[in-house]
Amino acid sequence: MKHIAILGAGPGGYVAAIRAAQLGARVTVVENQALGGVCLNWGCIPSKALLSVVDLGDKIKKAGDLGIQVAGSVGYDPAVMVARKNKVVGTLVKGIATLFSTWGIEHLDGTGSLLDSRTIRVLKKDGADTRVMADALVIATGSSWPNLPLFPIDGRQIITSKQALDLARIPSRLLIVGGGVEGCEFASLYNGLGTVVTIVELLPRLLPLEDEEIGRFMERELKKRGVDIRTGTTVENVERREKTVDVALKDGSMITADQLLVSVGRGFNSRGIGLEKAGVLVGSRGEIQVNEHMETNVPGVYAIGDVVGKAMLAHVASTQGKVAVENILGHDRRMDYDVVPAGIFTLPEIGRVGLTEQQVREQAVSQGRQAETAIKIGRFRYAGLGKAQGMGDITGLFKVIADAESDKLLGVHIIGAHAADLIHEATLAMQLGATVAQVADMIHAHPTLAEGMMEAMEDVDGRAIHLARKRG
Amino acid sequence: MTPSNLRYHQEHEWVRLEGKQATIGISHFAQDALGDIVFIDLPKVGTQISAGQQIGEVESTKTTSTIYTPVSGTIAKVNTDLKDHPEVVNSDPYGKGWMAVITVTDPAEVENLMTAAQYEAFLTSQKK
Repeated sequence: MKHIAILGAGPGGYVAAIRAAQLGARVTVVENQALGGVCLNWGCIPSKALLSVVDLGDKIKKAGDLGIQVAGSVGYDPAVMVARKNKVVGTLVKGIATLFSTWGIEHLDGTGSLLDSRTIRVLKKDGADTRVMADALVIATGSSWPNLPLFPIDGRQIITSKQALDLARIPSRLLIVGGGVEGCEFASLYNGLGTVVTIVELLPRLLPLEDEEIGRFMERELKKRGVDIRTGTTVENVERREKTVDVALKDGSMITADQLLVSVGRGFNSRGIGLEKAGVLVGSRGEIQVNEHMETNVPGVYAIGDVVGKAMLAHVASTQGKVAVENILGHDRRMDYDVVPAGIFTLPEIGRVGLTEQQVREQAVSQGRQAETAIKIGRFRYAGLGKAQGMGDITGLFKVIADAESDKLLGVHIIGAHAADLIHEATLAMQLGATVAQVADMIHAHPTLAEGMMEAMEDVDGRAIHLARKRG
Repeated sequence: MTPSNLRYHQEHEWVRLEGKQATIGISHFAQDALGDIVFIDLPKVGTQISAGQQIGEVESTKTTSTIYTPVSGTIAKVNTDLKDHPEVVNSDPYGKGWMAVITVTDPAEVENLMTAAQYEAFLTSQKK
């Protein structure tokens, strides 16, 4: 029986552990914090637990329009919200522990570091200093909290998302540095709770890695809700006062806020874990270098998740974990990043898979093709969907990008209610290499939001039923 | 339907010039084509703009459309009432639905825009 030792029990490490056990390996997992990692304890899950409350609060604010009688105005109780969030997290963490015990996976509660390519030294919480020797190692140490000289985190005025999730206080003014996924999610959360939110983003638009049309849509939605958006500028100076923080921007403006949330600059947890003792190579950003089997330059030492610096997504880490242990246990599986769906849990939500319009255009040009004729785009708005109208949730857009010649899907982007769930139809279509016509011709149940996918696919060839005839 | 005291841009904005102050908005045709307007994003006061540039967006339940400035200058004032009541642009596009006042750099730019009669002829030609 092969013995695999896994360093880190986030969404990469714990999934790798279970898959390895399913395939018959003996597994030891070393983790010095809660099982589930950042995702489960301080990221994906807790933020969704809080955002879902604000989403519901937003709906209750519209109660009168919907014919619901609510006495008094909508208010939030942060203590109850946080207690519920912690309970959700606790349930899921316990779930992992239960899974581990059913599969006979050993969990060492302590801090591990590599001594060589087959040995992890573990300083356990109970003071014991032990060694784990295994036939193969999987490094799944994740990424670290922002730690930039300009923003000294003190947990009071200058905070990270970890602290922002505890709602210890709901500031009246919050400045968020970084308009990426995390920045926009926290803008949605705190704006919903009544905080005056300002976002500062260096690049000219929010969500710079998303499709531009979707990023602009998000920007409009946040503006509608009263979020102050400062793009194309950056923070030049930060002064901590007794109860506030004064921030000077490069464009010359000053912002005073009660708290500053740093949503830029995550690093890789590749230091202090003994990589040099095992001879494992890291890249210029500190990311561990791996091949498509997730194996490092040292045979038998694998690395997965945020620390390898590919897509910093929990579900990518989980897939990498499965790929790593399956290879260790004699299967041949390669990691492929062409079809990676992602959800952004802003209000409204975003779902995306594949390339953005900008990436597709650049790709076409690099292939010597004219961008205008190489790609086709279809769109459909939520307002055209009977289901969306019935739900009273008509803000949203489906956008489909396809190759004009092959009719294959290149990217699909959705903003609106349930976007992150809806994206999986397109993900499956791309995974199976389906054409736009094949998805468009599939029967979609009525009345559903998924009809928007069909209409957007039809619109690629100008044949969406519920769109006015286009002139010209 | 098309006020004769205004000038019109091919992207369906109107302009009313008083001295160096130009008030702009979108035409009846534009609001009608957009349908129920739900949000208007206007530029910040003090922004320098040049004719033909995108300065904002109008979102309706059907679509999102760009607002172009027909004239060059500096944004002197924006209609903040539209923030809570964007639907005013549907009901009164040439009056309470005004969008911004621009201090123009070259009042002659307005002369180059269409008159009401020319704009109506332009709309008719577009329909064909």
